[in-house]
Amino acid sequence: MSEPVRTARMRIQADSEAMERDLSRLVLTLVELVRQLVERQAIRRMEQTDLTDEQIEVLGLTLMRLEEAMTEVCERFGLSPSELNLDLGPLGTLLPQE
Amino acid sequence: MTETGTYLYAVTEETPSSDVEGLHGVADTQVRTIPCEGLVAYVSTVPLDQFGAEPLRRSMEDLDWLGETAGAHHHVVEEVADRAPVAPVRLVTVYRGDEQVKDLLRERHDDFVDVLSSVAGRREWGVKAYVDLSAPGPSRTAPSLGGPGTAYLKRRQAGLRSREEAWRQAAAHAEHLHATLSTVAVASHRHRAQDPELSGRKEAMLLNGAYLVERSRDDEFLKTVDDLRDRGVEIELTGPWAPYSFTDLEVRGDG
Repeated sequence: MSEPVRTARMRIQADSEAMERDLSRLVLTLVELVRQLVERQAIRRMEQTDLTDEQIEVLGLTLMRLEEAMTEVCERFGLSPSELNLDLGPLGTLLPQE
Repeated sequence: MTETGTYLYAVTEETPSSDVEGLHGVADTQVRTIPCEGLVAYVSTVPLDQFGAEPLRRSMEDLDWLGETAGAHHHVVEEVADRAPVAPVRLVTVYRGDEQVKDLLRERHDDFVDVLSSVAGRREWGVKAYVDLSAPGPSRTAPSLGGPGTAYLKRRQAGLRSREEAWRQAAAHAEHLHATLSTVAVASHRHRAQDPELSGRKEAMLLNGAYLVERSRDDEFLKTVDDLRDRGVEIELTGPWAPYSFTDLEVRGDG
């Protein structure tokens, strides 16, 4: 069986409306990536118990609000969370699959 | 008059019945044979305005064209496989002319003979296994003491944990499937798992395996597959195929 051929789903279109949408998508993807990285780091530090209860609460609240904000912005751009996931070919996807 | 090239589908050993009358290949071209030193190449003459290196780069992105071409290629390989042990060649392997194909048969003669003898009387089966990782695991979040922020982090922690655990189990299961199937096969090969967009399924693909099975052990292999169907893992069996995964001689074409 031959090597699978990928469809170009992240290809940037040259008309301005699509371009704007694709760029927003790219920016939101990067923001979401950073958010998830920080979240994982927070969880790791929580597990290592080098945070006070108060610090955990503040971190948790901040991350929770960021997530809510992301959801809101995505809705405004008409994007679903799965659309923020870049396909990196052999490396898999940028964000973990939900 | 457009320039033409020689499109190579497959190679077999010379057989008494290498009649390809009426067999059509890619772009609806007539398939013919090139015998050379005890081997036979199955080819057809294709226009280079479609199958030259440059046009191919463009047409390979056209999924309709690709699907049609792959279908025609596969059809020829299957027809040939019905007659003799076959070494299929990669899709769109094009040579400048028949002489270059003969050169290939001469230069790689021993490799072809080796590969053909290793697949004689054997066929390839494909086994794909899928698991639905999105199925929610047991919620293990104890009512937490802290405020909403702490509860949020705890929930995410549990989510990460159960997903990691699910992946670990799934990977172990895939190893088990592959090992079990390999015991019945002469040779086996794990292809890279396809992502949902390509497989057309939302579940994650655990295993994308190819197994070269002795015809006489087909029933045993199929029974092994059936016995493995359980525990939330869905198994998809395809085949029998020509031994695509076990005959890769890195034949590239020069067109």
